[in-house]
Amino acid sequence: MFLHIFTYRLKCLLRNRENIFWTLLFPLILATLFYFAFSNLNSAEAFSAIDIAVVDNEQYRKDENFKAALEKASTGNDRLFNVSVVSGEKADEMLMNSEIDGYIIVDWPIRLVVSKSGMKQTIIKTFIDNYMHTFSAVSTLMSETPDKIQNLAYILNNRINYVREVSGTTSEPNNILLYFFSLIAMTCFYGGFWGMREVSDIQADISAVAARVNTAPVHKLKTFLYNSFASVIIHLSEMFIMLAYLVFVLDIDFGQKSFYVLLTVFIGSLAGFYFGAFISAIVRKQEGLKVGIMVSVTMICTFFAGMMNQDIKYIISRKAPLLAYLNPISLLTDAFYALYYYDTLTRFFSNIAVLAVFTAAFCTGTYLIIRRQKYASL
Amino acid sequence: MQVFKLCLRIFYKNKLLMLIYVIVFLTISIIMSYSITNELQTGTSFSPAKTTVAFINEESTPLIDGFKEELARVADFADIPDEPEALQDALYFRQVSCILRIPKGFTDKFMNGENVQIEKISIPNSIKNVHVELCIDKYFNTARFYVQGTGSISQHELVQHIKNDLAENAYVEIKTREKSANTNLLNFFYNYLAYSLSSVIILGMSTLMLVFNNPDLKMRNSCSPLSSTSANLQFILAVLLFTFTSWLIMVTLCFTINYKDSFSVNTVFFMLSSLVFAFCCSGIGFLVGNLVKSQDAIVAVANVASLGMSFISGVFVPQELLGNQVLKIASFTPAYWYVKANNSIARLTQFTFDTLKPVLGDLIIIFGFGAAFFSVSLAIRKMKES
Repeated sequence: MFLHIFTYRLKCLLRNRENIFWTLLFPLILATLFYFAFSNLNSAEAFSAIDIAVVDNEQYRKDENFKAALEKASTGNDRLFNVSVVSGEKADEMLMNSEIDGYIIVDWPIRLVVSKSGMKQTIIKTFIDNYMHTFSAVSTLMSETPDKIQNLAYILNNRINYVREVSGTTSEPNNILLYFFSLIAMTCFYGGFWGMREVSDIQADISAVAARVNTAPVHKLKTFLYNSFASVIIHLSEMFIMLAYLVFVLDIDFGQKSFYVLLTVFIGSLAGFYFGAFISAIVRKQEGLKVGIMVSVTMICTFFAGMMNQDIKYIISRKAPLLAYLNPISLLTDAFYALYYYDTLTRFFSNIAVLAVFTAAFCTGTYLIIRRQKYASL
Repeated sequence: MQVFKLCLRIFYKNKLLMLIYVIVFLTISIIMSYSITNELQTGTSFSPAKTTVAFINEESTPLIDGFKEELARVADFADIPDEPEALQDALYFRQVSCILRIPKGFTDKFMNGENVQIEKISIPNSIKNVHVELCIDKYFNTARFYVQGTGSISQHELVQHIKNDLAENAYVEIKTREKSANTNLLNFFYNYLAYSLSSVIILGMSTLMLVFNNPDLKMRNSCSPLSSTSANLQFILAVLLFTFTSWLIMVTLCFTINYKDSFSVNTVFFMLSSLVFAFCCSGIGFLVGNLVKSQDAIVAVANVASLGMSFISGVFVPQELLGNQVLKIASFTPAYWYVKANNSIARLTQFTFDTLKPVLGDLIIIFGFGAAFFSVSLAIRKMKES
């Protein structure tokens, strides 16, 4: 009996092209678009040598110290600047054409000409300030301890690096990944489309198919369980296709803990399925309204999980952590995030535990609503 | 005017579906207009860019206090508890661009001339870090200079000396071309319009086409005493009215939200480019309506078309941040040219034929796309009929 119902249900569901599109193709397309659109996003915050110019005036030619400092800052692989030495008019022209971010006029104080305020401009300014401060320190010292002048040159030329880069975790803080984490969480919850259909197809007053199913001499709960099994299998397969696409085709880094990633997808998929089933059970109206409610709840949850704007997720986790725990999509996103970013599993497990409670609640709720429904007339 | 009236009724019946996109547009616009205005930097005086850092201090000495005071000129300190998860979260979500930790015993070692370092956790290769690092090195190298140069100096004296030195700064001058209107926000809105406008128009148009392509209805219509020229003209009129109305609603929204910035010549060109784009979208809708057979499929195709175009063409993510390959693919969609035209319009300060040339070129391409969509659809219809 199980095999019969299961096989036919599987065939029937696989022919539902609309559901397949929204639960598999649409997320795949969205993932591809995310990949295209976001892969370069971090280049805005990345540092590359800043293009500047120095006005070739008499003071500059005479000022050997400044020349040397500039030379040092503009050579090597991790150089700060690409410098061109040009005339005043040329520098002006270059600035107006955005070929350089600013130009320096050697004078006292040294002048910097820029076209707008910004990080690059501030770095040029800091560099000049740096030079001027050293210069000022030298003159102070020379007036106070003239006997140590020879030593000074040595100290001056040996700048020490006072910063040591330590790494926080084994994974880079690559914030683009979070878009994909929330996307896969959303896809899990699109499994609700399947759950919704299963419940509609078992309630005789909602759909014609259900009316027919109810007249058959099979226990209603059995039919529901077998059917659901087919749905869950389909959705799980879709989720694993999605995950494989993200990992192997788009090269998204989910961290090292593969088993836990699979576990999260599994629980997420179940949670999504029962979420849809639950909504379908409490909203006893036509299909359109059910879909509308499910899609809007999913969208709102996804929004608060940070898919459209990551700051939202951060603000909620800092200001209203309870809200994050009440949002199943945020829990899922955070589980992926914790797996990728943290070395410990504490946060991951607390997310999964709450999610499991949600799933159990959706499941029990659905059961309590649809059990023992009898129809006087069909 | 039966056909015309029928078209309007079909549009009216589907208003809810289309309204969703208008509401999404409105919500995002309002959120954006609040967040962007904070970032906009205007004015003619130079204001140094500040970086947010988490500063964790394991000891408090005059040297470190002096350093913190100096650092405060270039950095804002975020108040984040010294817990690994909180710090890592802050870094991941770019609430801080680096975490600085002054280890215990730093000052003593420093004053004795030993080699000590501040621990820094940061976003790799970020421009803000380069700046913070530059500032740290500046402070401590100047300090080291005094420590080594004098041989013995008290911390208070040291800090005082550095303070005096650091008071002297470069003079910064800002030179711009003639002051232009504030177009950044408008540019964002009109770019974003591409998504909402294309969603609404494609959905509306294709739904209309779906109804008219119903074979039974078609047969009934063709045996009516209304001449096909008149029917077609009415149909076109209704489509034009729909496209124009959708455009007008969106542009009015743009205008209301940004009424302060909207009174400039740039706005006229923004409006022109969005109108041409709206025409192009109705072409896409016409094509989709001719190809697709069910309402469900229309929603799917309309979503994929409008989202797809918007993602790769620079509507959601600025074009500068997209890869060259992506932009090449995007140049096969009208949205790319629309965004490109808008970005050029935003930069315009003079409106002569020469400066407007690139914009007009882009607009002609968008118009060409629209015309192409319409002609392909008509060819398909012809083929289907025969």
